Amino acid sequence: MAFPLPRGITASEIAFLAEMETVTVVPRQRLEGLELLGGPVEPLVPPRRASLPLWLALLLKRQRRANIIPPSWLHPDSLSLILEVESSHQDYKSAFSPPPPLPGQPGVRDQGLEPTARPQYTLDGNRYYAAPPFIPQNTAQTAVSSRDPPALPYHWVEVGNMLLDAASDDLVDPDQIRRLLKDLREVRMAKMRSGVDVLDDAAIGGGGVALTGVGAMELGEERGFLTGVVDGLRKIGASKEQARREQLAEQRANGGYDGTQDEEEEDYMEF
Amino acid sequence: MDIDDILASVDRGPGASPESAALDHQQLTRFWVAERAVSEVLPWPAPLMERMMDRVRIQIETIEDLAASSADTDMSNTSHTHAQTHNPNLNLRLSVLQTDLARTQYIIRSLLRARLAKLTKHSMHYLVQLASRNKNPLSTSSQSQSQTQSSAGPNTTPEDSIPDISSLIDTSPLSGPETSFVHAHQTLLAGHYGGSFLGAFPRQLRRLDDNAGGTSMVQGPEIKEVCFVRCLGAEVPVLLDGEDGVEEIVLPRTTQQMQSWYRVYS
Repeated sequence: MAFPLPRGITASEIAFLAEMETVTVVPRQRLEGLELLGGPVEPLVPPRRASLPLWLALLLKRQRRANIIPPSWLHPDSLSLILEVESSHQDYKSAFSPPPPLPGQPGVRDQGLEPTARPQYTLDGNRYYAAPPFIPQNTAQTAVSSRDPPALPYHWVEVGNMLLDAASDDLVDPDQIRRLLKDLREVRMAKMRSGVDVLDDAAIGGGGVALTGVGAMELGEERGFLTGVVDGLRKIGASKEQARREQLAEQRANGGYDGTQDEEEEDYMEF
Repeated sequence: MDIDDILASVDRGPGASPESAALDHQQLTRFWVAERAVSEVLPWPAPLMERMMDRVRIQIETIEDLAASSADTDMSNTSHTHAQTHNPNLNLRLSVLQTDLARTQYIIRSLLRARLAKLTKHSMHYLVQLASRNKNPLSTSSQSQSQTQSSAGPNTTPEDSIPDISSLIDTSPLSGPETSFVHAHQTLLAGHYGGSFLGAFPRQLRRLDDNAGGTSMVQGPEIKEVCFVRCLGAEVPVLLDGEDGVEEIVLPRTTQQMQSWYRVYS
């Protein structure tokens, strides 16, 4: 077998991706800049802060060569705020709390502004928009963006756990953070499970299950289950779907909507 | 094309700056995730992969040079005991560079193996797809020839049903080596089938791309399988076959959805 892993990236691969996130460190020793395959790394000069990929920051942290400054969302205050929104806010009873805005995207506070994302250009000349893990969602926040309410970044589960494992002495009240992260995960997982009803729509002609705001690891966890259910439903419904399409096409040929459509629809949903 | 585009195209020189390494790395990572997530083989990004392979080669040389120089200082340590203070961070630098190299190599390896797995699973499908897209008068005549041969010729083998791809110029979505691999793989497979059981069949039943009765024997990947969609561009078009036939909706940035693959990639 050329490749034994199932389709869709697995949990360890997601963790691998999360290690490409950028974090802020305070180095304890000098290190000249390096030209890595993942891009250049700035020279480390204590006590100046530097931004490093997470895997490098963890490597330095384990050798006691640097301290990691935790991202602003990984703080008991921010986390309990998010947990409160997630569990008791009216608007988010069954939805996930919004993800942090991408660069160029209006934040939650200034809704209505046009997104002003500026694409970068690849060497092949295509437009390219950076996305997690390559935008600084986990660096220690600067003053400009700190007015946005705290939000969970895309790789929050992985980054949170890795920092708790390797750098718990750099965090504020790590036990409380660990508890809050677990609570958040449970609340959000419950939402995921209760949303299973809408899977029917994805299987049938309609389309798509909205998953905005769900983290990478949460998607990875549910991927097997969700895709399995939807594919199963699709196979069961395939012949009915075909019949429905044909009937619709016929109706359109005969002059459009004649009122029987809704009935048909209901029949279909019941199966 | 607006002013930003023009400015960016001026900025974009041919030289490989460190920033371009970061960009390429991000693209490689994104391509890897996409390739792992969907059921079809995605178009091979040849320029990107060439640049990546060049970088890996250069990086390996750099690491070897550094390692050699560290070995030298170790040797000279016996005579000059303070030679080590010359560069105390050498080992750290080496380990950082090696970790970075290993991570990149892992992505490339995983990407290639995922593609190979898809190719071996549906090798006939991709061969037929390649041959049908690159139809020129020459190859069609040879194909019709093989068709007549297969129906009338005395020694038909399953290998005859494999499309001839030797004259292909455009091998998209596969890379050149992948194309020859698929062809070799399918030829071996057909030979094995022929030797083990197809040889005992009547001549007209020996073809591997039989589509008698309107059902094609060639199985392709399941394009209706669902996948997760993360909208990263400004706006991403998605096909929806709603009540009025197929329509296109545009998903705004940062939306995440679960969608059937064929709706996204069309």
